[in-house]
Amino acid sequence: MATAVKPSVSAPDSPSLSLWQRIRDLWRNYTIRTLLQGLLTIFAVTTFTFFLVRQMPGDPVQIKIDQLMNTQNLTFEQARSIATGIFLYDPDATALEQYFTYMTQLLQGNLGQSIVSAGTPVSSQILRYLPWTLFSVGLALTVSFTLGILIGLAMGYWRGSWFDNLMTVFASTVSGIPDYIIALLFILILGVQFKLFNVGEFRGGVDHTITVAFSLEYIASLLKYAFFPVLIYVLSTIGTWILAMKSSTISTLGEDYITVAQARGLSETRILTAYIGRNAMLPLVTRLAISIGFVVGGSIIIEEIFQYPGLGRALLRAINGRDYTTMQGIFLVITSTVVFSNIFADLALGFLDPRVRLGKEGKNS
Amino acid sequence: MIGLSTVASTEGLIIGILCGLVPLLAGIYYRQWQAGIGGFIACVMSGFACGFLGGIPMILLTYAVLISKVYVNRQDPFTSLASLDEVNFEETQNELFMRRMANLGNTIRSGTSALIRNKAGFLGFLGIMFFVIVTVFGPLFIEYEGTARLDRRQPGARSLLAPPSYEHPLGLDWQGRDVLSHMVHGGQKLIVTSILAGLFATVIAVVVGSLAALLGGIVDQIFSAIANFILTVPTFRLLLVLATIVKFDSNLALALLFGVLNWPTLMRAIRAQVLSLRERDYVEVAFALDLGLWHVITREVLPNMISYIAVNFIFTIRVAMYSIVGLVFLGLVPLQEPDWGVMIFLGRQQGVLFNPTASGMLLSPIVAIALFQLSLVMFTRSLEEVFNPRLRSGL
Repeated sequence: MATAVKPSVSAPDSPSLSLWQRIRDLWRNYTIRTLLQGLLTIFAVTTFTFFLVRQMPGDPVQIKIDQLMNTQNLTFEQARSIATGIFLYDPDATALEQYFTYMTQLLQGNLGQSIVSAGTPVSSQILRYLPWTLFSVGLALTVSFTLGILIGLAMGYWRGSWFDNLMTVFASTVSGIPDYIIALLFILILGVQFKLFNVGEFRGGVDHTITVAFSLEYIASLLKYAFFPVLIYVLSTIGTWILAMKSSTISTLGEDYITVAQARGLSETRILTAYIGRNAMLPLVTRLAISIGFVVGGSIIIEEIFQYPGLGRALLRAINGRDYTTMQGIFLVITSTVVFSNIFADLALGFLDPRVRLGKEGKNS
Repeated sequence: MIGLSTVASTEGLIIGILCGLVPLLAGIYYRQWQAGIGGFIACVMSGFACGFLGGIPMILLTYAVLISKVYVNRQDPFTSLASLDEVNFEETQNELFMRRMANLGNTIRSGTSALIRNKAGFLGFLGIMFFVIVTVFGPLFIEYEGTARLDRRQPGARSLLAPPSYEHPLGLDWQGRDVLSHMVHGGQKLIVTSILAGLFATVIAVVVGSLAALLGGIVDQIFSAIANFILTVPTFRLLLVLATIVKFDSNLALALLFGVLNWPTLMRAIRAQVLSLRERDYVEVAFALDLGLWHVITREVLPNMISYIAVNFIFTIRVAMYSIVGLVFLGLVPLQEPDWGVMIFLGRQQGVLFNPTASGMLLSPIVAIALFQLSLVMFTRSLEEVFNPRLRSGL
């Protein structure tokens, strides 16, 4: 992408900086370049998904026409006139025309209207499902990161102990099995065979008989319904955190400053937290920031299994109903989060680790 | 895919025995009983499983192992007892062939011993072999039940579902069909598709990654931009959309598509590796000696990356299996029985999930997929030892 910047053609003695030079100076700035590249990527992904979803067989109008003809015994023309009336979608407009309309709307911050559920803006749909995914996956990420860091640190520090061996087996087992397989195993073995819990009770997001309020009862219900999705997310991700933290801890243990700290007679707790823990966490923080990008997407299959009302299920429904605008909206939200969390990870590492920060400045100046 | 999905057959057994005669006779000739008989068994098994495709490569491998046990390099001044003046350094075609075979055999032997030495890795290898053997040889003994078996209805029962019994060790499914027969017949396609998908992704990543690093400039920038683009798109979600556009009735198409979507991570790692390897002294020496690009790639650069590539290949197989079963689970690909994923889908659709007597139908594919994935994870430990000469001790 750096090829977009051509060498300056203006005369060197021109009093004011030429436009090209200004652009080139901007491009040299690491932060601005990363941001611009991110915006370009989002634009490319949006364009790509826009044309891709229109390649899906059967547009929303077509599906509705089929439905109406089958269920209400209408002729094709009748069904068509009804269907085009219901949906905010003109099947005769070319894809390019639709694209320009969509992009103009998007630049004004408008994600458009849902095609299938007419009258609902896509943004309000996303806002309806996003909190559930953010809550469940975010909680799971926090729990699994914190636990993983602590367990990995202990394993690396007391390497070769029974705890280390046990946890290595545990971590490689749970990280090896796909999340939905763990979920189904939970339901089948603990729920159905041993009847430790009632599976049907845990479907949905929250008990709807409880009024929405910041009450203990409501929060308890939220936590109860999120328990299984969160547990599955934690189990399927904690293994990677544990193993990464363990190897990071082991490599930190060999550093000179640890030996110095021990020689100074610092307490074991202080060495473990302030010297080993902090430095070993550094590479994991970048990965955490990248994982935050995937919080928004959630897991479609897990949400489908537990009937959790998150963004993944919303996307699945949009795909099945050929709701183009909703699909585009969800893809846009997911992509932007991934892009910006990657940028954030990049900048966060520079902020946390002075070596990286200095290296970058040296390279780009 | 003809040739890639395979079922053991009688013709295969004959081919296997014929192929096995080569190492067996060679073993008798060289008085290497153990290697000869071992080679015979290996050839019979692989010929039985895959016909000529399995038998002929196995002849090469077992013969190489055999040769490596008896071969003495007479040109090598360290093993030769003759004085240096008497050694003839001219090599005939035949001697060259024997030396190459012995080298290959030594590599295989040290690789195998590295494979066995790591306990966890070997366990993973055995796990993978178990599934391969069951899905390849199982169909010989267990007949596939594709149609509903209403005659198996028990008096007073509400459905045809049945818990495990002596005749049907894994129980009956919702149409009264034997679950074991579906397990045996339905795994191979999934495993082969996942491996193919992993293979495509790895090949694309290796080719594109090394091209980008070696050519640099505009090629590098274009490929890196594409890689960044694909990394940003949520892959599984994209696969969901694509599944409605492309009809995934051939597993080759699914594997290819998966490969196209999953090469960027490995490609970026390989690009970085090649870039750093290019600066190493031994690579510069090889260039300076005018050994040619092909030699540099195969002898200097690839051996340093092969361990990483192999581990990543296994990882991609796992992700591919995850995605393929996930697509079936959500009902977005045409259902083709028998298949483990389809078993899970239909089991859920038929309400088997909440029926404690009928868990066999759902538990079997779930446990099989979990075990296969675990075996793959454990197998990577061995792969690291096999391909990394620093971890592998010589014979």
